[in-house]
Order: sequence, then C-alpha cells, then structure tokens
Amino acid sequence: MDTALQSLIYAADDHYLSDADLDRFGKDVQALGDRIEAYEYIRERELSILQPAVDYLTEEFLGSDPKLLERAVMHWLSILRYAAMAMLLNNSEYLSRRILEWLPDLVEVYQLRDIELALYRLILVQAKSSLSPEQLALIKPYLEEAYAVLLNAKPALQKAA
Amino acid sequence: MISVKELVRESHLPSNYFAPDVYIQGDLEAGLIENRKGARLLALPEPFLRAIYEGLAEEVGAASESVLYKCGAWWGKTFYRRFAEEVSQHHKQPLAEIEMIEFLQCFKQSWKTHGWGKVDLDFNFYQQGFIVVQVRNSAFATSGAALGKPKCFVEAGLLSSFFSGLTGQKLHCIQTTCESLGAECNHFVLGLPERVKRAEAWLQENHDHATIMDRLCQGQANR
Repeated sequence: MDTALQSLIYAADDHYLSDADLDRFGKDVQALGDRIEAYEYIRERELSILQPAVDYLTEEFLGSDPKLLERAVMHWLSILRYAAMAMLLNNSEYLSRRILEWLPDLVEVYQLRDIELALYRLILVQAKSSLSPEQLALIKPYLEEAYAVLLNAKPALQKAA
Repeated sequence: MISVKELVRESHLPSNYFAPDVYIQGDLEAGLIENRKGARLLALPEPFLRAIYEGLAEEVGAASESVLYKCGAWWGKTFYRRFAEEVSQHHKQPLAEIEMIEFLQCFKQSWKTHGWGKVDLDFNFYQQGFIVVQVRNSAFATSGAALGKPKCFVEAGLLSSFFSGLTGQKLHCIQTTCESLGAECNHFVLGLPERVKRAEAWLQENHDHATIMDRLCQGQANR
C-alpha cells in the first residue's frame, strides 16, 4: 500500500484528520493517479525500453558469454518490474525486499557488476527517450537505488583477490 | 542477439521467494499466520521458548540437551521437505538442479524471514568434509539458563537434518561458539558423525572455534 496514505490512515487511528492532513491526503491521491499512469506506460513499453538497451549491451560486451549477458538482462527485467511496482506503491522498501537485498550476491558470484552497471546506463538512456520527463522523474529514483546497490557489489577483480 | 521477448517467455524471472512481506501472510479473520503456501506459522514468544528449555532441564536434567537436539532434528527434517518443495516449485526445477548461489540465497532469506537470525554458510572446509554455519541474532541463544557452553541444541539438530536431507548423507552438527557466551555469532560445524563428534572432547576442554577446525581438518589430513 502507498506508504504516505498508509501513514495518514495510521494517524487517524483515534481522531479526525486535521485540515493539513486532509490536504496531504488529497495530494497523495492525486499523485497516485500520476503513478498509475506512469506504471501503465512502463508496462506497455517494457520491450521498447529494454530491447534497444540490450542490443547496445551485446555490442559493448561482444566477447562476453551470452549466458552471462542474458542473466544480467533477466536481473534488469526484474528490477524494472519491481521498480515500477515500488513506484506505484510509493514504497522503496518493496524494491529492496523483493529484489535488491537478494541481487548483490548473485552479481558477485557471476561477476556481472560491470555488465549490470552498463545495462543500467543504457536502460536509463532508453527510458529518457520513451517516457515523459514527469514519468521519468517518478521511476528514476528506484532505478538509481538499484544502481547504487549494484555499484556496491564487489567487482570481479576484487573478488578474485 | 538476445531477444528480451523470448527471455521473458522462456525464463524464470529472479525474485526473492522468501521476501517477508509476501512470504508471511495472515488470515486475520481466522486468527492465523500462514506462509504463502498456506501452511500455518506460529510466532513463539521468547518466554515460552525459555519455559521449554527450563522445564526440560528441571524434568530430565542433562538429557534435555539431547532431547532438544532431537526435537530440532525432527523439525529440520520437515523443514527441509517443505523448503525443497516450495523452492523447487518457485524455480520450476528440482532443488538439486538449482544453481548453488540461488539455493544459498533462498536458504539465507528463509532463515531471516522466519525470524531465526541471519545465517551464512562457509564452504572453506568442504574439501575436508565439513560445512561451517554461522548464525547471528539466533532465536535460540537467549533461551534458558546459562550453561557455560554453547546451548543452541534445537538449532544444531535443525541444521543437522536439513543438511542431511540436502546431501543425502547422515550428518551430525556441533556448536563451537555461542552468542550466549558473548561470541559474535553461533558457529556450527556439520560433517559425518564419526568425524564431527571428535570435536566434543575439544569443546569440553574449552578450545576455540579456530583450534577445533584446525584439529578436525588435521585429523582428516592424517587419514
């Protein structure tokens, strides 16, 4: 559930909401409408955002094992879907719990850090051209959060050492 | 060329099966907490666990340690069966075919989500025939009276039968450090009974975890 709305519902446990709270409630409901629209837009354009990014990725990592590239693509498919849901719910914890807490070990073991970070960059470029600035502003913080988590995964060289 | 459309169609998208917000659910009307498969979960208060430990110690004395170990082993057997079934279904492949890292992620997350602490596996001694398990914030270290020795017997039993199920070999488990004794984490050593049980004497002589591991590995090298 939307965390901002949820906190207002909790606040109304034993009293009426204040005018300021009601004002916030109205704004949150309005913002939810924008997020639903952005969610639908991302859902419909998942392929057109990801496929060009993946094509550039395969060019950039020509000599790499295709299975590893596919694995990284699967990770970002999941990240995009969970990020979209987290955006809809206005809840970054959702993204962390469902995928981000889980991913760094996989990225480390398969030594995917460089591929995943490059894919983030490419997806962001595609998202910028496919989404409106407002929609991009809604989803971007979640993608950035995923990037930050993957950035902290140990790179291949550090792992080998 | 990688086709995203094909990947989505053919592959299983990675996700955290044991994510707490989806794994633990409730039927509030019926007063139940359930996992996502509908199996009932119980939240045990710490005083209840403590009461079991102390009640058993009072009734059966030192034998309570092996009773608790056996309870853990029985629980671990069913836990392994349930874990294997759920994880296989989620990944759409038998547990034995799931990549080791994905199995480990599921195992660690399931421990955390059930509230049993944070578990890590150390395979550095695998060639010598041992697996070391570390548990932080264990649910069992604070229960019962201080014994002056590791006392997470339920956890040791649980781990022994879980890994026996996983490896298909009868394994024994001994605990070498305990949070109740001020250690940073609980260390458990798993291996074939005749190999691991030798450590019990070293534990009684108060040797630390590193020394016990050295001696266990040396024992294997001399064979």
